[in-house]
Amino acid sequence: MTPVLECVATLAGHADRVWDVKWNANGTLLASCGTDKTIRIWAKEGDNWICKSILQDGHQRTVRRIGWSPCGNMLASASFDATICVWDKKSGQFESSATLEGHENEVKSVTWSRSGAYLATCSRDKSVWVWTVDEDDDFECAGVLTAHTQDVKDVAWHPTEDILASASYDNDLKIFKEDDDEWICFATLSGHTSTVWTCAWSKDGSKLVSGSDDKTMRIWQRYDPGNMEGIPTHGEDPTWKSVCTISGFHNRPIYSVSWCHESDMIAAACGDNSISIFREDLSSGDTTQPVYEMVCKQHHAHDQDVNAVHWNPQQTGLLASCSDDTTIKLWKISGE
Amino acid sequence: MSQKDNVNPQIHQRVTPRVRVPEKTEFDDEVRDPFDAREIFDLIRDINDPEHPLTLEDLRVLNEDDISVDDENNSITVKFTPTIPHCSMATLIGLAIRVRLLRTLPPRFKVLVEIAPGTHQSEGAVNKQLADKERVAAALENNNLLQVVNQCLALKTSTYGSAV
Amino acid sequence: MASNFSGVLQLTDLDDFIAPSQECIKPVPVKKTPRKKGLSKIQVAVDGSYMEVDTTSGKSKKLQKAEITLNDCLACSGCITSAETVLVAMQSDEELYKVLNFNKTAAEADKKIVVVSISPQARASLAAKHKQQSTEAAVALTHFFKSLGVSYVLDTTYARELALIQCAEEFIERFRSETENKNLPLLTSACPGWICYAEKTHGDMLIPHISAVKSPQQITGTLVKELVAKHCEVTPDHVYHVTVMPCYDKKLEASRQDFYNDIYSTRDVDLVLTSGEVETMLKKETRTLTELLLAVDATQSNSARPISELQAAFLDNLELLNHSGGGSGGYLDFVFKRAAKQLFGRNVDKVEYKVARNNRDFRDVTLKDEDGKVLLHFAAAYGFRSIQNLVQKMKRSKCPYHYVEVMACPSGCLNGGGQIKAEDGDREKQKEILEEVERIYDEIPATIPGNNEHAMTQLNSLKENSSKLNHTLHTQYHSIEKDDTLSLNVKW
Repeated sequence: MTPVLECVATLAGHADRVWDVKWNANGTLLASCGTDKTIRIWAKEGDNWICKSILQDGHQRTVRRIGWSPCGNMLASASFDATICVWDKKSGQFESSATLEGHENEVKSVTWSRSGAYLATCSRDKSVWVWTVDEDDDFECAGVLTAHTQDVKDVAWHPTEDILASASYDNDLKIFKEDDDEWICFATLSGHTSTVWTCAWSKDGSKLVSGSDDKTMRIWQRYDPGNMEGIPTHGEDPTWKSVCTISGFHNRPIYSVSWCHESDMIAAACGDNSISIFREDLSSGDTTQPVYEMVCKQHHAHDQDVNAVHWNPQQTGLLASCSDDTTIKLWKISGE
Repeated sequence: MSQKDNVNPQIHQRVTPRVRVPEKTEFDDEVRDPFDAREIFDLIRDINDPEHPLTLEDLRVLNEDDISVDDENNSITVKFTPTIPHCSMATLIGLAIRVRLLRTLPPRFKVLVEIAPGTHQSEGAVNKQLADKERVAAALENNNLLQVVNQCLALKTSTYGSAV
Repeated sequence: MASNFSGVLQLTDLDDFIAPSQECIKPVPVKKTPRKKGLSKIQVAVDGSYMEVDTTSGKSKKLQKAEITLNDCLACSGCITSAETVLVAMQSDEELYKVLNFNKTAAEADKKIVVVSISPQARASLAAKHKQQSTEAAVALTHFFKSLGVSYVLDTTYARELALIQCAEEFIERFRSETENKNLPLLTSACPGWICYAEKTHGDMLIPHISAVKSPQQITGTLVKELVAKHCEVTPDHVYHVTVMPCYDKKLEASRQDFYNDIYSTRDVDLVLTSGEVETMLKKETRTLTELLLAVDATQSNSARPISELQAAFLDNLELLNHSGGGSGGYLDFVFKRAAKQLFGRNVDKVEYKVARNNRDFRDVTLKDEDGKVLLHFAAAYGFRSIQNLVQKMKRSKCPYHYVEVMACPSGCLNGGGQIKAEDGDREKQKEILEEVERIYDEIPATIPGNNEHAMTQLNSLKENSSKLNHTLHTQYHSIEKDDTLSLNVKW
C-alpha cells in the first residue's frame, strides 16, 4: 500500500498568515506564529487539539519564526521588528523574560543549540548572530557573523556538535564553528541557483538538506579529513558536498524542510500548496551518490503556500504544517 | 526628491475602455467565469507612476500582451517594462503591481510580477526581490513604504469606465 | 565588492540592492541663484557635461554637476556603501602622487608643503612586513616619503601623549563632579568605527558618554596645519597633510565636518592612507624598508628639525615615544593609573585585567579599597560583539563601569582593517602576523604621559587659552536620526 498523508487535525485561530510551527522536545506542545504578531501554544486535550495560550505584546511586527529550548522551558521568537523575544515558563505561564536587540532589520530565524548553551539568529541585515547567557542570566552576543552577502533566511544547529548552518538569499549555505573564543565561517555550500530558504540536519548530522527558491532540494554530505572517498578537506575542518539534487517534484519554491530523526524521512513545504515526503532509497547501495525517492505527496495540503513543516520528535510520523491560508494542520503518515 | 530618473518620459495612447455586454452566464453563480489577461490589465492599468502624474498604462510600463493568465492552475504572470533601463523605481513599481493584485484577486492565485526581459539593467535582482514573499511581507509592514505604495495605488477621479 | 570598513560599520544599513549611485537617498542641495530673465535650456555638450544655454543671448555655461561628497554620506542615515565608493576615489595613494607631481611643476607660491604623519600601529605593521625593528622602520619610512618629495614626516604618538593627559583630566573631572548624572561610563573616542556606529545607532544614549578628546590623528592634524603653516609662512591650505593609519575607518574620521577649516577651505587631515596602501606604494616604487635604511645617511637622518613646537613629533627622532597598555593607545591603562593616584592616592604599577569568559576582547579591571569595595571599575571592549554587549548593558542600566576603552576591531588597533594582511587570508598566518606586529609595537620602551618636556610645554601653553585648547584637543559628536521622511527609495 502506498503511504499517504492523512490530515488528523486542522487548527484555526491565527488571524493571518501562519509563518512557522515547532514542536517542543517531548512532542507535547506545538507552537505557532505569524503575521498577526502572536504566538500560539497548542496541546492535545482528549481527542482535540486546543490553543492553550496566546503570547502577544512581545512584538511590534510579524513573528517570523520560533524555537524551543531543548529543555522545553523557554521559547524564542524572531520578528520583523528586528528583535528576538525569549519567553520563559518559570511561573507556569509563558512570560517574556528577555528581548534581544542588535539586529538592524527583520530577524528571520531563531534556533537553540542542542545543548541549550547557544541561541542563533539571522536577519535581513545579512548577519548571523550567536548568543549565550552570561553570569547575570542576561543574553549576550558571542559572535556576529557577516559571511553572507545577502539576507539570511534560516539557521540550523547541528544535532550533536556546536556547528551552525545558515541559508541565504545569496544562494549559498554557510557552516560556522567556534574557534578559540571566536565564531567563524569554515565552509560555504554553493549549488543552489536561487535563494536558499531553509535547511535541516539528519539525525547524526552527517547530512544536511536544503530547500530553495530554485524549486529543488539538495542533500549535502559531510566529509571529514582523511575520508575514504578522497574528498579534499582543509586543515582539521570537515567539508560538505552536494551529493543529491531532488528536483522535478515541485514548481514553486521550497519554503521549509524537516528531517525526521526517527524515520529518516524528509518533509518539504512548498509554495505550490503541497507537502511531500522523501526518503533515501537504500537499495542503490552507492553512498557517494544517494538516491532520494518521494514517499508521498499531498497536493492540496493547504489552500495557499505552505510555509513550514515540522516532524513531532516523539510521535514518529506526526507532522505539523502551516500556511498562508491561516491554518495549521497535523498529518499522520500512514500505510507504511 | 532630488531628481526624477526619467525627466521626460514618452506618453502613449491608452487602450479603449472595454465595453462589456454582460453575458447571461455571468449572473449564474454555478458557471465558472475564469479570469483573463484583459481583466488583470484592467486591475492594474491605472496604477500611478511613483514619479509622474501618469498611469503605468500611459507610460506603457504595462501592456495587456505582457500579462498571462492560467486560471485553471491559479497562475498569473505580469511583465512590466520600466521607461528607462536604469530606472530606480522598478522595484517600487513592481511592488505596487503585486500589492494591487494581492488586494484584489482571490487568494488562490500565485502572482508573479517580473520585468519584461531585457528592459532593465538589474532585471535579475529586481525579479528576485519581487518574487520573495518574505521581503514583500516585511515591506508592507514598513509604513513609509506602504504610504508610497498606497499613493501609487490611489484611484484618481478621472478613472476608466472599466476600472474596478 | 568586499567592504574594507570595520564590521561595525558594515551592519549599520542595508546596502545590497541597487548599485550605490542609484540607491543613494541623500538629496543634493541645489544652490539658489537669482532667476534670470528670459528662457534657457539645457544641452548636453560633446564631453558629456550639461550646458545651460540662454535662448535669448545664446550664451552657454557649464552646469555644476550634482555630486555626493563623503561628508554627505556621513551625515546621512542611509548606506555606507556610497561612502566607501567615494572614499576609494578620494582617499587613495593616487591623490598623494597627484599632489607630489603637481609640486614638481608648480610655481613656488602654489606648491603644497606635504607632511606625512605615521601612526605607531601602521609603523609596526610595515616593520613586521619588512622584518625590521620599529626604530629602523621609522627611519626608513621617513627617508621613503622624503625621497618622494614630502617635507616632514611625523609620528602621531606625540599627539597621543597630549590626548592621554586630556583624557585622564576629563575622567577625573567627571568622576569628581557633584552633578547627579555624571554620564559614566566615560567612553573613549579614538576609534572612528565605533564613533560612527554610536552616532548612527544609539546617538542620544551614547553621545553624552563619549570623551570629547580628539583622536591622535586629528590632534596631529590641527597641530600640523597650524604649526607647519606658521613655520613656512603660508596659509593652512598650502599644507597637505597625509596620515598613515592601521584602519580604513580613519578616512571617515578625517572627512568629518568638525575637522574642516571653513576659513581656508582645508581639512586638518587631507588624506588618510592605510598601512596596506603604503605597502602598495613601496611596491610601486620597488623599494623595501631594508634597502631604504641602507640608503639613509646617518648624519642626514638627524638633520635639523626646524619646527621647535613639533620637535618631539618627528618620526626619525632618536627617542620615540610609546605608551603602555597595548596597541590601541593605552587609554584605559593611563587613565586608570592616573585616576587611582589622583582620586584615591593609590599607585598602580601594572593594570591586571580580568578577561571575560568566552571573549578575550572584553577585559575589565577594578581598584578596590581595603574592605574590597570597588573604587574604580574600568573595561576594554574590542570588536563588534563586545561593543554590542556594552551597549545593551548600558541600555538595561546594568553597566558597572566608570570608563571603557572602546575599539571596533577585535584585538584592537594593531589588528585594524588597514593593516597588512596575510596574503592568502589564512587565519593561522594572520595570527602569527598579529603577534609579530604586537611584539614590534612594544619594542619602543613605554614612556609615561606627562614626562615629555615638549608635550608638557605645549599643553601648558594651550591651557593659557581655553578656546585654543578646545580647538586643538576637543571635538563633538552628532546623533544621526534615521531619515523617516517619505522617500521613493525606501529599501526593503
